Amino acid sequence: MNLFAIRERARAAWAAFALPGHPRILVGAATCGRAAGAMEVKEALAAALGEHGLTDSVPVFEVGCNGLCYAEPLVEVTGRDNRRVLYRNVDARIAARLVESHLVQGEPFMKRALCVVEGNPLEGLPKWAELPMIRPQERIVTRNLGFIDPGEMLHYVNRGGYTGLERALALGPKGTVEEVTRSGLRGRGGAGFPTGLKWGFARKTPTEPKYVICNADEGDPGAFMDRSVLEGDPHAMLEGLLIAGYAVGATVGYIYIRSEYPLAVARLAQAIEDLRAYGLVGENILGSGFAFEIKIKKGAGAFVCGEETALMASIEGHRGMPRAKPPFPAVSGLFAKPTNINNVETLAAVSAILERGADWYTGFGTEKSRGTKTFSLAGQIRRTGLIEVPMGIPLRTIIEDIGGGVDRDKACKAVQTGGPSGGCIPGHLLDLPVDYEHLAEAGSIMGSGGMVVMDEDTCMVKVARYFLSFTEAESCGKCVPCRMGTQHLLRLLDTILAGEAAPGTLEQLRGICETMKCASLCGLGQTAPNPVLTTLRYFEDEYSHYLAGEVRRYRIEAESCEGCRACAIACPTGAITGDRKRPHIIDQEACILCGVCLQSCRYNAVSFVFEEKAAR
Amino acid sequence: MKEITLTIDGQPVRVDGGASVLEAAKALGIEVPSICSHPDLPAYGACRMCVVEIEGVRGFPTACTTPAADGMVVRTESETLRRLRENTLELMMSGHPNACLVCDYRAVCEKHKPTPSKAGTSTRCGLCGNRSECDLREIVLATPGRNLGLPTIYSHKKVERDDPFIERDHNLCILCGLCWRICDKIHGQPAISIVRRGKEARIAASFDRSWVDSGCTFCGACVDICPTGTISDRFAKWHGHPDNKILSTCMLCPEGCSFYEMTENNQVVATRMTGFAAEDRLCALGRFAYPQLLQDRDRINRPLLRESGELIPVSQEEAVDALGAALDGFRDGSFLFLGNDTELRETKHLYRSLATDVLKGKYHFMAAGSGAADLPETIAEKIENGTIRAVLSAGDLLPAELRERLAFLGVIDAFPSALSASADVVLPASILAETTGTFRDAAGTVKGVGPALPAPAHARPEWHWVRDLAQRLGADDWRRYRYAPDVTRTIGDDPAPAPLRTRPRDSVKDALPARFRGHLLADRVPALRAFGLPFTPPEATATEKRGFLIRRKEEIAPNFHSFLVEAPEIARYARPGQFIMVMAAETSERVPFTLTDWDPENGTILFIIEETGRSSRELCALRAGERIAHVSGPLGAPLDLTGANTVALAGGCYGIGAIYPFAKALHKAGKRVFVVLEASSHFLIYFEDELREFCEAIYFTTRDGSMGRRGAVHDVLVELLQSDDKRPDAMAAIGCTLMMQMATEATRPWSDVPLHVALNPIMIDGTGMCGACRVSVGGETSFACVDGPFFDGHEVDWAELASRRGAFVQVEVEAMPQNGTLAAHACRH
Ligand SMILES: Cc1cc2nc3c(=O)[nH]c(=O)nc-3n(C[C@H](O)[C@H](O)[C@H](O)COP(=O)(O)O)c2cc1C
Ligand code: SF4
Ligand code: SF4
Ligand code: SF4
Ligand code: SF4
Ligand code: SF4
Ligand code: FES
Ligand code: FES
Repeated sequence: MNLFAIRERARAAWAAFALPGHPRILVGAATCGRAAGAMEVKEALAAALGEHGLTDSVPVFEVGCNGLCYAEPLVEVTGRDNRRVLYRNVDARIAARLVESHLVQGEPFMKRALCVVEGNPLEGLPKWAELPMIRPQERIVTRNLGFIDPGEMLHYVNRGGYTGLERALALGPKGTVEEVTRSGLRGRGGAGFPTGLKWGFARKTPTEPKYVICNADEGDPGAFMDRSVLEGDPHAMLEGLLIAGYAVGATVGYIYIRSEYPLAVARLAQAIEDLRAYGLVGENILGSGFAFEIKIKKGAGAFVCGEETALMASIEGHRGMPRAKPPFPAVSGLFAKPTNINNVETLAAVSAILERGADWYTGFGTEKSRGTKTFSLAGQIRRTGLIEVPMGIPLRTIIEDIGGGVDRDKACKAVQTGGPSGGCIPGHLLDLPVDYEHLAEAGSIMGSGGMVVMDEDTCMVKVARYFLSFTEAESCGKCVPCRMGTQHLLRLLDTILAGEAAPGTLEQLRGICETMKCASLCGLGQTAPNPVLTTLRYFEDEYSHYLAGEVRRYRIEAESCEGCRACAIACPTGAITGDRKRPHIIDQEACILCGVCLQSCRYNAVSFVFEEKAAR
Repeated sequence: MKEITLTIDGQPVRVDGGASVLEAAKALGIEVPSICSHPDLPAYGACRMCVVEIEGVRGFPTACTTPAADGMVVRTESETLRRLRENTLELMMSGHPNACLVCDYRAVCEKHKPTPSKAGTSTRCGLCGNRSECDLREIVLATPGRNLGLPTIYSHKKVERDDPFIERDHNLCILCGLCWRICDKIHGQPAISIVRRGKEARIAASFDRSWVDSGCTFCGACVDICPTGTISDRFAKWHGHPDNKILSTCMLCPEGCSFYEMTENNQVVATRMTGFAAEDRLCALGRFAYPQLLQDRDRINRPLLRESGELIPVSQEEAVDALGAALDGFRDGSFLFLGNDTELRETKHLYRSLATDVLKGKYHFMAAGSGAADLPETIAEKIENGTIRAVLSAGDLLPAELRERLAFLGVIDAFPSALSASADVVLPASILAETTGTFRDAAGTVKGVGPALPAPAHARPEWHWVRDLAQRLGADDWRRYRYAPDVTRTIGDDPAPAPLRTRPRDSVKDALPARFRGHLLADRVPALRAFGLPFTPPEATATEKRGFLIRRKEEIAPNFHSFLVEAPEIARYARPGQFIMVMAAETSERVPFTLTDWDPENGTILFIIEETGRSSRELCALRAGERIAHVSGPLGAPLDLTGANTVALAGGCYGIGAIYPFAKALHKAGKRVFVVLEASSHFLIYFEDELREFCEAIYFTTRDGSMGRRGAVHDVLVELLQSDDKRPDAMAAIGCTLMMQMATEATRPWSDVPLHVALNPIMIDGTGMCGACRVSVGGETSFACVDGPFFDGHEVDWAELASRRGAFVQVEVEAMPQNGTLAAHACRH
């Protein structure tokens, strides 16, 4: 089928989906939504519709995550008036009331209404684009998330999908590579290598066959951008993969995805089937002579398998263990053939770039960091979620405007970016522009997009320890600096936290970090010291407390404690005792330093303080 | 490939395109430290020792993985590189027990104990079978100013002994990957690889199967390439570095693989592939069974002649004479020679001539791996009907019922059998490496065998026997066969042996020949049973419920096992300083162990055994609930220290447990006790909590400084002696001889303060009768077992003691069990 005919069908499909004067319901049912109870909500909606005899007239669609994760489950209801209203924190009970109020009585259920997505404004309700969480964002990679049925390829097409591929085929491989080069797009998988340059290398290697790979192994704890894109808009990436394959001259594209992402895998499988049905994979795609196959390869969830050479070893059926570069994948990659590997987000940006042109894309971001970047915003912040912002945006805008500021109005102590490979940017650097250069200068990295906000009560040594415990377990064990270095760093951090560190421990830490950075084989080991190095750089005083023989404990200030028992109920070890309405007290022997008490106290009576180790 | 030019450390060098920077540096004679690279393997890049600086390249690439490029400018030395390498080495060694490498007393210790202790798990070089040939140790010792300041992270992995022939001590592994990579290269599909991640990463067969089930062919390549003591050949492990190697040919099957015989004192301790290519590989028999066959202690080593119904030893001449005389009577075509198809060509040739030319009879060569049951029907019939009446059999090749039909049977063989026991004449044969000549393999290629190594006692190569026999039978011209080549020249175009139907080098399952000279190989080399090779089942012996019950057994530190044993009589009479003699099984050696604790009420005793050789391994293989055959004691003179007011107790190794009863008794008596412990590294300290209960202070000294103070107990003893408030008026030191000797020397200036040391010479009966435990103390001879074990260290003749302990090293090595975890039950004789 040619694209013209596909577009015809797409228009029809979209018209049926967004039929004017016809009500419908969208449920945010990506993994995040489901975890918050979206599927129960969907059932409750169906039941309520049934009760009111609306089953046939009001279709319910599952859509991807629109990024407002803090407000999940999210439900969008469109009435006969074509006004689309987004509701937050819906549960089964609210679902029934939405149907009754919005659809039966025609009255939006204002108590849970978040915004008007489209249509006539409503008194007292902002528009989608005016939401403080949305306003500073630029949605390119996430352009369709939450708005289309991810299981329906035609929705994607109707919103401009596969125009990029069409354009690439017209530009020819060389022209496509140039277009991407001109866009200034840099790899979103972590290191930020210029994508066009990388494609050019693979294109110029004469060996055949060639491969392209989509890296969907997203292993950083707390990062879920790739998952959201694949669950909510798989074609955005697939189109990018096709374009990449065409540009470098590949015949097969692999998607390496973690098996912990079953929904994304199912969406991809469905999408690839559709592509085949419409002739967009297989022989002679769109009559261009370009032949391309796409295969899904599920990974077993080892973090290191996200590293490109380990990933390729894993696809080949070997143990996922990195190897040294050079030779680079563009010269000798998968099955020792020229291979181009890109991250999900990179490829999803490619499809937009080819659709709208490099010039359009360079309008976003900064000179050296073009375009946008997605982040999964998490931690002690009011609004958590999946966001996409133009490069160069001040960190403060993300934390204060998009995220709504630190929870419980505490001060922002640090923002961690880049997960276990990244670092902590201190609160006083909140005006830092978020781009590759500035983050690196501050000692952190862009990474794949994890962003964790930490409040003033956070122990930075514990933060470093947390990430080290992750890399220590995830080091593949192949090379000495990483395998042994992570173990020693973790051990030293533990002795520090226990108040038992010997003098000179910080020098020892720094020495090991240097060896790991300079001598490790792959990115995991080279970046694993970052959490230690940045906390040492900005928060050495906290280390010094520990080194001076102090330890940190949770204490309840008697004056502030109202005796509400919230902390005592929350404490997992039952370490907190006290009579109702009387000041409570923490049994330090039983305390496991989890900090739940501090989070649970409404009166700010719990603090995390340094004190002499001997004082119990 | 195209040549390229690059510059390394300022010198230009031309190499083939495709060479690595490491190879290019080597071509210039520049040595870049490298541990995980190997000339036979592609680059791997794991050790990170070969980092270099390359102009225009970010960071510090590894020379082994970086392809050399035209115009490249490389620096192999700089301050940063030096630091990176030192720190990387330090990190590497922190994952490998390394106390010996930083120990201040290494030289004197290794002189004291010239061979490593045969420990269960190697917690340092002094307990490592690899010591005499360890690449890693060499590299570390050669690193100037080596700083191994990071404490050892000892991984406490259990030594894997369940597989035949090969055992693994993963605590020594540096994950250089050489083993699995060579396996991959040789077999295409590696039987082993790295499993798990991070600190759990280790070498294993996939899915944690046993190696037997993993497809491992037991070629031994991984054993040979491993730079550490991780993967070892159980049989060769404690033999040290072979002193010679001989290029020869395996004659266990018609494949006739070329190999090196690695010898020590003219005995084959191992065989080795001639290279690391696929075609160089050996099978389990050639690689592992071969040395064990040669060192089998149950060999026929004298000629035997039946006289009045009994086989009695005779001289070589008598034997040949008797055999010749007997065979002279069978020149009428009734003689048959039965031999082996896979043999020296010289031997086969002379047998053939003897049978046909000299005796006008027949010969038959049995195919490799076959036994008496495989004798061809036609031959059996001829014996049955009396056409054949005399047989000379080169092995256990004739069924018993046919033997009865013969008028005469001669056997020439290496191992005894029922057949040889029924023979009229038996001649001892040299086999395999004990012979020299040529071998024709199944493919027809002729290969060299030998030179010959000494054979046991009166054994001789078969063709020597045949030559002499032929002369005795009148073939005077056979005198010309003086050396093997004299025979070789006359052979001509002999037939190749029949090929095997299986491929022993590709599998251990259903592929290995079951027999050698008609004997079941698995009878001679029990480890082969793991491959399913048939063996003669042992006669069932009733297991008896006698002996001393082990209530509890724990490995409290690597190699240190505490035993809680029911022994009410000993518990009732034991006193501090006494010991017991223990026998694991009825047939085991008697070994002394110091009593650590006893409980007269419960009737139990506690003692600590350090696994350090055959007998202790046998004991340590016992489990709670099992029984120890004999425990006798309490033995030795008790030592009462309660006369003193302040006592310093120093313990190292098993001594940490041995000072415990003194601490307990002194504490009870209200005396001041200072405990000083010594170990090579922190992970070898045990009993800390138990001792703390009975002392005022406890001091730790380690050789690597991993618990603060670097050094030995004597450092602390001297400090205590010099102090005003802790000065002891008696001291005791229990540990290895060197530790006690050093403590003695260091405290000599305070000889008014007695230093009681526990002497541990070799003991046999432990009751003062055998004299094995003689020591010289104060110029007089004493018996450690009854006069001791405690003596004043300042009076002991330490030099004599040390020399006596070394006397049995070789015997001990040969006695090491070869059956892995079956140790306690492996006693073959
Ligand atoms: C330890 C480690 C883990 C990685 N994990 C991921 C991952 O989960 N997802 C990803 O896209 N890239 C990951 N990367 C980055 C990839 O190696 C590679 O740089 C990326 O796939 C290149 O794609 P890009 O050019 O689109 O960024 C990881 C790198 C390292 C060193
Ligand atoms: S740096 Fe770590 S993860 Fe990477 S190869 Fe080395 S051990 Fe493996
Ligand atoms: S492997 Fe080498 S360095 Fe390690 S303990 Fe054994 S001898 Fe010492
Ligand atoms: S077992 Fe030996 S060869 Fe294999 S990785 Fe460990 S140290 Fe290297
Ligand atoms: S013995 Fe041979 S086959 Fe077995 S693991 Fe070692 S190298 Fe591989
Ligand atoms: S296959 Fe084995 S038994 Fe046969 S010759 Fe080779 S090493 Fe010896
Ligand atoms: S020799 Fe180059 S990394 Fe080991
Ligand atoms: S052990 Fe035999 S006399 Fe002492």
